[in-house]
Amino acid sequence: MSTQAVLAPPSAMSRALARDRLGIPAVLAFILAGVAPLTVAAGVIPSAYATTGLTGIPAAFIAVAVILALFATGYMAMARHITNAGAFYAFIARGLGRIPGTAAALVALLAYSFLQVALYGAFGPAAAGLAAARLGVQAQWWEWALGAWAVITVLGLLRVDITGRVLGALTAAEIVVIVAETVSGLASPAGGHLSAAALSPSALTSAGFGTFGVLAVVAVLGFTGFEQAPVLGEEAKHPRRTIPVTTYLALGVIGVVYAGAAWAMSAHAGNSHVVAAAAAQGPGLLFGLGSGGLPQAAQWLFLSSLFAAMLAFHNCVWRYAFALGREGVLPGVLSRTGSNNIPKTASLAQSATGLAVIAAFAVAGAQPMQDLFFDLGTTGGFGVLLLYALTSVAVIVFFARNPRQEGAFSRLIAPALAAILLTGIAILAVMHYGTLLGVAPGSAAAWALPAGYGAAALAGLALGLVIKVRRPEVYETIGLGAHAASFQAGTVFGGRS
Amino acid sequence: MHERHACRSAGRRHPDPPAPGLSGTGLVADDLYLLGHDDRSGKPLLQPRALGTGLAGALLAELMLAGWIGLRPDSAVVFVPGVTQDTVMRHALLKQVADEPGPAPVRAWLRFLARSAAQDVALGLEEAGYLEHVRGRVPRSQGQWVPVNPDWALAPMLRVRSALDPARPLTAHSAALAGLAAASGLSFRLDQYQTRAGRSVQDAVARLGPGLRELIAQTQTAVDSAVLSHRT
Repeated sequence: MSTQAVLAPPSAMSRALARDRLGIPAVLAFILAGVAPLTVAAGVIPSAYATTGLTGIPAAFIAVAVILALFATGYMAMARHITNAGAFYAFIARGLGRIPGTAAALVALLAYSFLQVALYGAFGPAAAGLAAARLGVQAQWWEWALGAWAVITVLGLLRVDITGRVLGALTAAEIVVIVAETVSGLASPAGGHLSAAALSPSALTSAGFGTFGVLAVVAVLGFTGFEQAPVLGEEAKHPRRTIPVTTYLALGVIGVVYAGAAWAMSAHAGNSHVVAAAAAQGPGLLFGLGSGGLPQAAQWLFLSSLFAAMLAFHNCVWRYAFALGREGVLPGVLSRTGSNNIPKTASLAQSATGLAVIAAFAVAGAQPMQDLFFDLGTTGGFGVLLLYALTSVAVIVFFARNPRQEGAFSRLIAPALAAILLTGIAILAVMHYGTLLGVAPGSAAAWALPAGYGAAALAGLALGLVIKVRRPEVYETIGLGAHAASFQAGTVFGGRS
Repeated sequence: MHERHACRSAGRRHPDPPAPGLSGTGLVADDLYLLGHDDRSGKPLLQPRALGTGLAGALLAELMLAGWIGLRPDSAVVFVPGVTQDTVMRHALLKQVADEPGPAPVRAWLRFLARSAAQDVALGLEEAGYLEHVRGRVPRSQGQWVPVNPDWALAPMLRVRSALDPARPLTAHSAALAGLAAASGLSFRLDQYQTRAGRSVQDAVARLGPGLRELIAQTQTAVDSAVLSHRT
């Protein structure tokens, strides 16, 4: 088809289809909305200062942006050659094999689930605080969390997605607010003197070499979602150009915005006081950088950002379950749709998980911001880090079999550097997981949470093996997602590569 | 502006419509349209893009069942040898296929046709007497298509049921209809007829020729991809 389309004049069909397609602004908006900037700037960054006690966070965002740019190079190159490029496990299945692919699928499902439920831990307190201060309504964080949970569950069942325009507008507003707060904070540094020390590379290891791993996991959590452009691959105009351009643009924008915000918070409170200030103020550490109507606008946008992120990750989890159900890796009931094309089972399964977690944390009397939002959120980010690392290795192996006319930098050098750096970060993070969670090194959470991924990976390997042995036709379609159906029919014509 | 009288050059969907009734128009897309909407209110049971994609698949299936087009191994849509110019001129969709500079992949056809399939099929059903157009209460709203007779609108369900009943002979029309209905996301409507002792939709589809099987699978993929990429 491709040579035909290049040589023939544009037909009525190709012109009509081109009109429907998304340009760079639309794809960029899609990516940034998934990243939920204010959730990170007001939620993750202050919590990171408070929980880890580390001050190198601004530098971490810059360093990780560079590493992820290397990752993105190989990732984009491979995305051009595979179907179902929106999901990491597809890359890993095509590169490293279907059994590792199945393991990656379960790791991804676990990571995205962590990320989704963690958001309730931020929404609850933020809503409770805002309601108490502005509306005089007193309620517990978990009551608000449950309220949000109920709304998300219903919206998920009604197949409601926040429309692209609304989401785009909210995201743009979030970025404007963050930049405004940043400028305001940098303009009023503690002691009247602005220092760039927090941005320098030495800040990454000032508390010990291993803490770079911790800082990097926090930064990865902030960047999670930047790589989603290939999800829209078929929908984009000139995908070969649009997808990479929007991805690098997103990385750049996110990196600068977050590094700037984290720096402003540190500069405004004073580098040696920012940890204490963050512990005391939480998201207020960002809101308080500005004055006038800015803090209040920021607080309301924070809530909408959290809500949009909760819905986005809810959708992300059920879409994964849907694709895996379509392939047959997970029970087929997850890929069944009810009226209005709603995958009810997949949606409800994710909702049930959320409810269980909120209930467990509420009953245990845990700290929502620190224990639920930050600890589970960074653990989700850690899972995404593992996937980035594994995907880089998959890219190298995929192109080693057949270079497919991609340059050496894209198919080997960049992914190799990324794989080494990301794996190194993962190892450091595991060794210092206690610092990440703000708990004593030997405590249960510090090994149990990373071990959860080990368990998911092992379960995935076992599942892949079982499928290979007992249902070989399903084994063939692992990694194809929505394309599983056409692959199976395609075997009629002699199979596809 | 709502175009109720879209371009009607050669190729009305029903040049000689039989009187409307329980046996339907004999066209797969018409049956799928009725299956995909409530038989009383006419409200759609599917998201717009899923419905459009399913109907696009059905429109192509009609041409395949008539023996006019087929799929190459690379899934491009091509004419079957022996199709006359006269036949092409009489069918709007065949004419569109002929007007393309070269064979295009079925996925491209599904995307292209999905944009207007629901409208085109609804207009044809109105002509054949199965639907009537009711103005909306809000001025300048598009209004909607409502079934003239709920029993006629429900009849396609019976055709699907016969595809899934092992005691009844299987026709290509009903197997294709069942397959396309499932691909569009209407499995929940077919569930009541899928029993252990009966045929599953997969079994029915497996009895079709390779071109139709591929078409139904590609329709499924296109609908799923729309779900996964958030554009429904």
